[in-house]
Amino acid sequence: MNLASVAVKNVGRNSFRAVLTMIGVGVAMLAFVLLRTVLSSWTMGAEYAAQDRVASRHKITFVMSLPKRYVEDIRGVSGVKDVTFFNWFGARLPDREDVFFANMATDPESALRVYDEIEVPPAQREAWLQNRQGALIGAQLARQMGWKVGDKVTLAGTIYPGNWEFVIEGIYSAKRKSIDQSSFWFHYKYMNESPTLAPAMRDQIGWTVAKVENSDAAARVAKLIDGMFETRDIQTLSMSERALNTSFLGMFSTLLKAVDFVSIVILVIMMLILGNTIAMSVRERTQEYGVLRAIGFMPKHIATLVLGEAVAIGLAGGLLGVGIGYPLINQGVGRFIEDNFTGMFPYFRIAERDALIALGVAMVVAAVASVLPAYNAGKLNVIDALRRVG
Amino acid sequence: MTMADQARSEGLTPSPRESGSAPKASAVLIKVEAVDKVYQRGNERVEVLKGLNLEVKEGAFEALMGPSGSGKSTLLNLIGGLDRPTSGRVIVGGADLGAMGEGERARWRASNIGFVFQTYNLLPVLSAQENVELPLLLSRLAGAERKRRAQVALRVVGLEDRAGHRPDQLSGGQQQRVAIARAIVSDPRILVADEPTGDLDRGSADEVLGLLAKLNSEFNKTILMVTHDPAAAERASIIHKLDKGALA
Repeated sequence: MNLASVAVKNVGRNSFRAVLTMIGVGVAMLAFVLLRTVLSSWTMGAEYAAQDRVASRHKITFVMSLPKRYVEDIRGVSGVKDVTFFNWFGARLPDREDVFFANMATDPESALRVYDEIEVPPAQREAWLQNRQGALIGAQLARQMGWKVGDKVTLAGTIYPGNWEFVIEGIYSAKRKSIDQSSFWFHYKYMNESPTLAPAMRDQIGWTVAKVENSDAAARVAKLIDGMFETRDIQTLSMSERALNTSFLGMFSTLLKAVDFVSIVILVIMMLILGNTIAMSVRERTQEYGVLRAIGFMPKHIATLVLGEAVAIGLAGGLLGVGIGYPLINQGVGRFIEDNFTGMFPYFRIAERDALIALGVAMVVAAVASVLPAYNAGKLNVIDALRRVG
Repeated sequence: MTMADQARSEGLTPSPRESGSAPKASAVLIKVEAVDKVYQRGNERVEVLKGLNLEVKEGAFEALMGPSGSGKSTLLNLIGGLDRPTSGRVIVGGADLGAMGEGERARWRASNIGFVFQTYNLLPVLSAQENVELPLLLSRLAGAERKRRAQVALRVVGLEDRAGHRPDQLSGGQQQRVAIARAIVSDPRILVADEPTGDLDRGSADEVLGLLAKLNSEFNKTILMVTHDPAAAERASIIHKLDKGALA
């Protein structure tokens, strides 16, 4: 037996109140972990983005196009190993207006070289390269829509009018968490050489992605690319893939801050719940603390007992919240969210790091909540406390 | 062989002091010299003790009686090192308690004084043995030694077979005996008891008083007891009567 074990045993003094408090802390920590997971999965695209790829777009806005000839100009820039390009197609399923997924025209060969972490079975890869109407889709999109290789899919153009027929030739996956596995890629030539395409829209692309020699070169290459087009009619804005994803997240910065704020509010509420419980316990045990002080316990020993009890409750509540949340998200709900909100949350799982942080936060918040009651208990006047004894 | 002899033969504490290291039986252990104690309650100045003098010899069993507000508990608190006199001196075992700081007095109390209160104030989540062991957490004794000493203290109060019971599984008298075991576990020279039988029925009160008498006679504990109960006071060899902050 030691002071810590006495503090832990004290948790059971009022088991009903202790259980309610632990449930309160557990629910708060569950909400905290969920919000942290929302934040981390939302920012995952930026965190895990490749640093050896440089994306270039129209300097004014993403919506405006670049001339396709820029691709070859960029290929000649010092430090660029390879380059590919994409064009936002923006089509929808004709009978499923509620379904959204990114569909983009690209050059298949260079796209697969630049995004070399994308995994496609060799036979499917070859089939997609050979078929101008072929599409390569992400594994999550395939799961979500129930599509398989060989299926025919018709998309209704919004930017590019008409119905566009595709054959799914391949399904890709990727180990890198930043790769969106819900995209629909198809041959740029199929779109660009379509007789229905207006002449002004021909040979236009949305953005380029250059693979650079190493991650250190990304900033330099981006500068070289932008410098090269500085005197042209259309200027570019180039940045590393990570910077691009981060700037995209910047559009949602207010929302992210709000989520962050709510998670802090949850911690404050948890702190108040705990602080109240601990303060009640201290008040009820004034006589007992008086006796302990009388037999030689110092203020620091009393404070340790109060602090230890609070931390034990915080840890128990944290374990409850994380213990429920971890399997719930990682074994069930996370998969559902990834399949149905894949654009926003391509990877929705509670990271072990976040779970451990949550446990640490629960203990720290509990400790902070108990500081005042612990201080008050420690500085109790022995005589005053004993006077309540008799 | 008495329980005390048995405890001594095992080399266990609590035990009487060795003759060479302890003061002589007739030596004064507690000396209260011209003590005043004044409390300030708002604007009101309350004189609780007025120029009080008292001497208690080592190995004595003395009782303090008097009406409520006469200053009994205040005097006990001063002797127990829980409080300091406004003026005068309280010297216990050669230590001038008024000259000690808060921390120093707490450490002194832990090794020199055993407290017994009217309400037992045992921790309900701990077993009887763990409650008794509690004061030893402040010492540097190893866990096994602490446990052994707690068992001995429980044996002395006759509750060895209730070591694993929690307070709510014990009667009032048994709880007070556990509180006494807690008071003696660190082998203090002095026991101060403030209304130790106040919450007990006659039978349990007699048991507790018998136990205190045994601790005095067999273990040479110096006992100072505050009580309203004349039957309890009769157990003491000397009865001091306080009235309005002075010995009558």
